[in-house]
Amino acid sequence: MHHGNHFYGHAHVLAGYCGLDPDAPPRIDGYLQHGWNVVDGLGAGTPYAPGRPIFVWSQRTRRRAWSMGRPLATVIGSPFLYLLRSTPDEAVADGSREGTIWYPFHGWEGQKVSGDHHRLIDEITATEPGPVTFCLYWNEFQDSRIRALYERAGRVICHGYRGYMRMRTDHRFLHHQLAELRRHRRVASNRLSTAILYGTAAGCDPAVYGDPMYLDREHTPTADRIRREWPELHGAAPDPEKARATVLAELGDGHLAAPAELRAILGWVTT
Amino acid sequence: MIRMIGGEMPEYAEERLPAGGDLYRHLTGRLPTGIRVLVAGPHDTGLVEALARHREVTCLVRSQPDAEKIRVDGVTVLCGTLSQLTDTDRYDAVIALDGTGRLCSPEESPLDWTASVRVLKRALRPGGTLLLTVENELGVHRLVDPGTPTADRAADAWHPLGEFGSAPGRPDRLAAALGAEGLPVAGLAAAWPLPSSASLLVTPETLRYGPLDALAALAAAAAATAYQGRPVLSDPRRLAAAAVRRGIGAELAPAWLAVAQRAPRPGQAVPFAPALVAGPSGAITEIVGASDGSWLRRAAHGPAESPGPLPAGRLLEERLLSAALRHDLPELRRLLTGWMSELPMVAAGNVLVDGDRYAVLDPAVPELPDALARLAHTLITGGYHHPWPGVTDVTRLIAVLAGASGLTDAPGLIGPPDRHSRREQEGQLEALRRRLADAEARAGFFEVELEKREAELGRAKTQIAAFSGSLGYRAAKAGLVLARAARNRITKGRS
Repeated sequence: MHHGNHFYGHAHVLAGYCGLDPDAPPRIDGYLQHGWNVVDGLGAGTPYAPGRPIFVWSQRTRRRAWSMGRPLATVIGSPFLYLLRSTPDEAVADGSREGTIWYPFHGWEGQKVSGDHHRLIDEITATEPGPVTFCLYWNEFQDSRIRALYERAGRVICHGYRGYMRMRTDHRFLHHQLAELRRHRRVASNRLSTAILYGTAAGCDPAVYGDPMYLDREHTPTADRIRREWPELHGAAPDPEKARATVLAELGDGHLAAPAELRAILGWVTT
Repeated sequence: MIRMIGGEMPEYAEERLPAGGDLYRHLTGRLPTGIRVLVAGPHDTGLVEALARHREVTCLVRSQPDAEKIRVDGVTVLCGTLSQLTDTDRYDAVIALDGTGRLCSPEESPLDWTASVRVLKRALRPGGTLLLTVENELGVHRLVDPGTPTADRAADAWHPLGEFGSAPGRPDRLAAALGAEGLPVAGLAAAWPLPSSASLLVTPETLRYGPLDALAALAAAAAATAYQGRPVLSDPRRLAAAAVRRGIGAELAPAWLAVAQRAPRPGQAVPFAPALVAGPSGAITEIVGASDGSWLRRAAHGPAESPGPLPAGRLLEERLLSAALRHDLPELRRLLTGWMSELPMVAAGNVLVDGDRYAVLDPAVPELPDALARLAHTLITGGYHHPWPGVTDVTRLIAVLAGASGLTDAPGLIGPPDRHSRREQEGQLEALRRRLADAEARAGFFEVELEKREAELGRAKTQIAAFSGSLGYRAAKAGLVLARAARNRITKGRS
């Protein structure tokens, strides 16, 4: 239905899990939550067709969506968790996890981050015990000035382009991300974000520290609230077990639907 | 033989069914033989016949046509109004399982409950036994009734008091009231699902300390049978089960049955088992406590329908609904998977679940191939929140539930769905209004989207036309036209 369902290849991952063609996911009867947030699971300001269901990751998000006037929410868990559970982890077998994958906070295409990249990089190299891989958002990755800054401190990668209006979507965005996460021991960022949740679920120890940097006209109380509400995920070395429990709940662990159930929920029943 | 005692109703026949049923018949059958019995008020002829086999029976009815229909050997029929009953005839037992509501005729000022009981008491010998049903004006049957007794238009509703009447409103008050009239109570039970035909009798103690989950399931099952096809305000099964489970089963029971004695006399009482259940085949099962604290079912009359230990656990349907309401998907999937692998053909309302054990409550109930579809129907039309609010179509919800049960598909509804209560209808109306409003809003949303896309398409067409209408293309096209014309002229010249 909405092009947001195709962001990061979410619809593609779910189609593959349901036994359908992962390159041509059928139309989803509703809207998928495409990233972790502290509102109703949907992207702010995106117009959604009224009365259509939304498919959120966790019970907490579902309850919040209800309180925000979105009663048609169904918890299905995050597509990343479906991918994680159905992709064998080869890195664990050979014990080759090493270093930290670091996600500098980014906005999306229309937003600009203000902050001091130099100071942040210094803090990261002082904190991280091993080699650091910087994962930049695609627009920062394409900015040679920013990329050069990070390249001086470590390896720089980009998982791909999440897509827009179903154009140039990297269907295997999450696959790239999962493979990278599984190569690292730690996952870190200067803001608690989706990537931290994914990394923790994929077996990395999380860390959230450093200059949080702010977006243009950002609603700072929300950022403050996130730090207050999820202290177990903040700091240079939070307790990994506590962090993992929180992360799995936020990603909807235990709520993943079986393929037949998911097909019926998403409107992929052919009968 | 009919004796007109005064105040009879020559033209009127009772409109509602008399008190009866297998359970009442079983109870009256346990009165000692050889005694004199007065059956006061309309009672089922079968019950009178069974009583009269070994006892001297007199019936008291107000309707003359009904009196004439009682043609049972050896039975004396008194036709008239209650207050005309004299104390010249005394009985060892008085049976008033229809209560006191249909004993007086229009020919006398209506007697209130206490006055009626006093007349019945006078008809008892010292030590005699009274079997009296008292309707609970706030019982579940009243709470789900779309009508109200205070507005009743029936031909015998000349004195429609309903809950404004003086009958006791609680089982303990009933016992106290009878005690105060010199009729100490020897036994008391809450009756389900209807006052005139109970199929489940449970003592108040059992409703406090007994196997409440199983009793709740039995009360719900009793209501399900009695209310099939009857209009209701809300689902009596849920109300009955919730009342029993939450400890107010005795208070919300449709009626209470009291066994009282005019001065106690040993051997005359009708002892109550903790619970008595009448099965569909007429067999009576009693539920009794075992020494180890568990509960057993055993036959009290007729073949044992399901002897042995009473299954523990809660009604599956309630567990499913409560998991759905809590949006507890893991629990819901566990229950669905367990149910569909253990007892896929048994209705959720007939399964008790205890941990991972699934047991049939009443094996006499026929199998149901569309049990899962019926749950889907209940979730959508029954006014319950569930984890898939976006699915508004029963067929699709069946597919979701099948998937959540570990099945690939499940049969759809076979036969008509369960009747809806008025409250459910109201809920469905509200849901339809919401869906209509959403659909209208969505149509507006799509129009705006369509306009945007049309504008984009228009721009794209202009671009395409501009490129396809380039100078070289137009020159080539003109050349082609000229060449065709030349060829045509040549072909014409030849012919």
